Amino acid sequence: MWHRDFDPRGWDAVIIPGGFSYGDWLRAGAIAARTEAVERIADCIDRGIPVLGICNGFQILVEAGLLPGALLPNESGRFVCRWVKLVARDPRGPWLKLVEDGQVLTMPVAHAEGRYVAADPRGIEGAPRIHYLDGWNPNGSEMNIAGVGSRNGEVLGLMPHPERAVDRVLCPRGFEPSGRIIFESLASSLREGW
Amino acid sequence: MPLSREDIEEIRRILGREPTREELAMFEAQWSEHCSYRSSRRLLKLLPEEGSRTRVLVGRGRDAPAIELFPGVAIVFKIESHNHPSAVDPYNGAATGIGGIVRDVLTLGAKPIALLDMLYLGDPRNPHANWIARGVVKGISDYGNRIGVPTVAGDTWFDPAFNKQPLVNVACVGIVDTKTLASVLRGPREGDLVLIAGNPTGRDGLLGSSFASKPLEDSDSDIAAVQVGDPLMEKLLIDAVTEIARRGLAKLIKDLGGGGLTTAISEVAADHNLGVELHLDALHTRQELTPLEILVSESQERMLLVVDESSLPEVEKILRRYEVPYSIIGRFDGSGRIRAFFKGRLVADVPARELAKPRTLYREARPPIEALKGIAPPPPVREPEDLAKAALKVLSSPNIASKRWIYEQYDHEVGIRTVLKPGYGDAAVLRLLDGSGRGLAVKGDANPRYTSLNPFSGAANSVAECFRNLVATGAQPLAIVDEINAGNPEKPHHYWFFDQMVKGVAWMASELDLPVVGGKVSFYNEDASGRQVKPTATIVGVGRIDNVERALPACFSQPRNLIAIVGVTYPELGGSEYLYAVHGIEAGEVPRPRPASELRAASLVLDLASRGAIASAHDIGSGGLATAILEACVCSGLGASVDLDMVPSRGIERLDQLLFSETQARYIIEVPREALPTLERLARERGARVAVIGEVRDSGEVELRSGGKRIASIGLEEAREAYESSLPRALEW
Amino acid sequence: MITSKKGVRDPEGEAIHRQLVLKKGYDRVKGVRAGKYLLFLVDEEDPQRALSYVRELCEKLRIYNPVVHDIEVRIHS
Repeated sequence: MWHRDFDPRGWDAVIIPGGFSYGDWLRAGAIAARTEAVERIADCIDRGIPVLGICNGFQILVEAGLLPGALLPNESGRFVCRWVKLVARDPRGPWLKLVEDGQVLTMPVAHAEGRYVAADPRGIEGAPRIHYLDGWNPNGSEMNIAGVGSRNGEVLGLMPHPERAVDRVLCPRGFEPSGRIIFESLASSLREGW
Repeated sequence: MPLSREDIEEIRRILGREPTREELAMFEAQWSEHCSYRSSRRLLKLLPEEGSRTRVLVGRGRDAPAIELFPGVAIVFKIESHNHPSAVDPYNGAATGIGGIVRDVLTLGAKPIALLDMLYLGDPRNPHANWIARGVVKGISDYGNRIGVPTVAGDTWFDPAFNKQPLVNVACVGIVDTKTLASVLRGPREGDLVLIAGNPTGRDGLLGSSFASKPLEDSDSDIAAVQVGDPLMEKLLIDAVTEIARRGLAKLIKDLGGGGLTTAISEVAADHNLGVELHLDALHTRQELTPLEILVSESQERMLLVVDESSLPEVEKILRRYEVPYSIIGRFDGSGRIRAFFKGRLVADVPARELAKPRTLYREARPPIEALKGIAPPPPVREPEDLAKAALKVLSSPNIASKRWIYEQYDHEVGIRTVLKPGYGDAAVLRLLDGSGRGLAVKGDANPRYTSLNPFSGAANSVAECFRNLVATGAQPLAIVDEINAGNPEKPHHYWFFDQMVKGVAWMASELDLPVVGGKVSFYNEDASGRQVKPTATIVGVGRIDNVERALPACFSQPRNLIAIVGVTYPELGGSEYLYAVHGIEAGEVPRPRPASELRAASLVLDLASRGAIASAHDIGSGGLATAILEACVCSGLGASVDLDMVPSRGIERLDQLLFSETQARYIIEVPREALPTLERLARERGARVAVIGEVRDSGEVELRSGGKRIASIGLEEAREAYESSLPRALEW
Repeated sequence: MITSKKGVRDPEGEAIHRQLVLKKGYDRVKGVRAGKYLLFLVDEEDPQRALSYVRELCEKLRIYNPVVHDIEVRIHS
């Protein structure tokens, strides 16, 4: 929906999708993070409504201070679009409910500013995390971080695109549609809790 | 390009008086080569407009053409060049090229779903050419990614001829339901409003089209013609305009591109036998502008919408919602004249039809001496002792090597349509999102070396190459658009190349039953010393796929599957990548275009594909058979063993001819063993030559055999390294 | 400091100005220009020579595109 029309009431969960809000100018997500829509999303988080940020959505959550750390330009200095292999650590919460600790996931990334820097590594210790497998880090992220969640997992941000890894027909040779599990987790969580 | 004395006489005659400054500027903008095809119109009539397999819904003459993909679903696609702006400012030149082509597709109410970039760049080891190459790719990446349209395919070529003046050809594909399409084809009536939406008009890009219609000069005065892309506004325009179109609120949509307001308005009025009254001071502008500047500014990200009074409130609501600035600047009438007022003063009053359609210029064509290079057989070369080394040399040539460094900078997946992605297939395959499993294939091709050696055959081969690339994914080719990049039309030795390229495209397209539904011409591609860059005919084609799950990759898939070659190989090394990369020679007769063989081979491949009897298919093009096999192996990680004695051939005397000949109408196909009887039966029925030449192996090497023994072996790791690392190494230093 | 030439559009600066600065009420800001800032550490005693040294390399290496950009070279410390 159009960001101006966003009314936080009546939703079970919120997903901020990828894209280039405000052209990614200043820093990716920096201008969108100051919009009313994102202020309303902060209210949702306070009320315990699950929030997922994908790619630019993750950048917005980080810029708004709703998830810890920062996302800097890729080490290569270039945008990168490719499929990567990931591993989940300490999964919990509505988005990762069905994911097992150590489970390998495959999804594509497509971003120019995805190099995660945790100002204080203790901030994400024990929080649910998605790491790039060794050798698959496309941007030089610290600790191979591809995604982080809030401690209870209700807020999750990730650079890879689970929504692009849902149908097998879109997966190149050697990769699985494992983005599905994120949305299946949410469906299950909303039915049965998390 | 300034108006000639004859032009000014003509304008006096049309007006029956001295033109005002504003009127002169309007004629200059509209009569530039870029906007009115004065030098090319006669020849372009040769291009076939229809094909027996294709329903053309909107033909040439509009901002973009449309064809039926499936009943009720139309594909809109168009090609454009941004060669001159990209030479001056590679980053913004390429970016605004993307912006323009996307807006062309929007004019038919279509949602843009794919971009292609065909880049003919200088030697990456030359510092200036390298700077251009990186800037162009970054410009496309930053603009295309930010507007959320995937860049899914293209073509890349490196040649010192493009060191100063690159060719940046971009194409966009859009999708639209036929009901929406019909609503934006209604056209204006008397009393309808002229609404301009998008960026405020500024002094940027004054007379950009006349700038594209003159040779490049080293001077700072080109700065006014430099335009900066604004992808954020473009994205808002995409969302707003597609919504306006879908709701049937616009009767016509047009891009304000080359020639700005003047071109857009005069073409609409002339096409519909109407006149228009404009109030230029009503337009939203970036700064104080004179009426002349308003008439010809080419500020980016602006569109013209024709709206009737009753739809206006809804249209305004949508534009306001997306925060797209707009203004209503006039109204159509029955006068047949464009009358422009500024603060109540009449500044221009010209007949629309005469403005829109200047007289055709007759240009003389004469072959230059250097054309002889392409009609003699290539000079004899010594056969390399180590064929494996030669194959690797060809594979690592920047023209052949993996373009991953480029395509990974483009989001090629956004929109979740891209089934066959860059690096996996001969063309990109996109699915429809209606759950039907149907889709389309798109690809762009050119070979500047072929067209510079033999513009007729080279251009014909570009059409055939594009056709094969679509077929190799299992798609039925439906239509093409072309971009002819040529030199200075005032010079007969340059114009001859243009003349021949158009004829070559027209001939092959007719033979393959492919309508050329749209296209563009770019002239004056010469450097400051008047040397034309390699004349190039770029072709973009669209094909239909009934089931994207059956789309064929170009990578081998299964060990023990058979490798077969479709088509006969002739000793055709003239203009080949092998002669260039291994022997440093750019000469000789280019491979002969073979339309009858193309049709037979394609019908076999498509029939096999529809029966699920092939696992992968790869066109044999630049670099020949050796390159095709190595590519199919590298991208799958599987090896192969091939017996060269099994390859059907005629007149071949040496193995380097067999391995590197670029004979047209050939494919490598991968056939499961159990499908062999089907293959043999269908080949007989279709009269196509096919032979099994080897098998896919999990061996980590490509083995070539001849005379019962192993004559070369190429390790997969070595091949992968040559294929993957060459381009990054050439570009990053 | 590399900025767009006067007369060349700067969509980044405009977006920051319009979408962020003005929307949050800082309406005394009349314009924002975006650019790029590079800090060169130069082994050179004489400030003037350091300046011309850096200016020269900016031109020769096409650190900026003279067609669309202006540069300003100054001593930082």
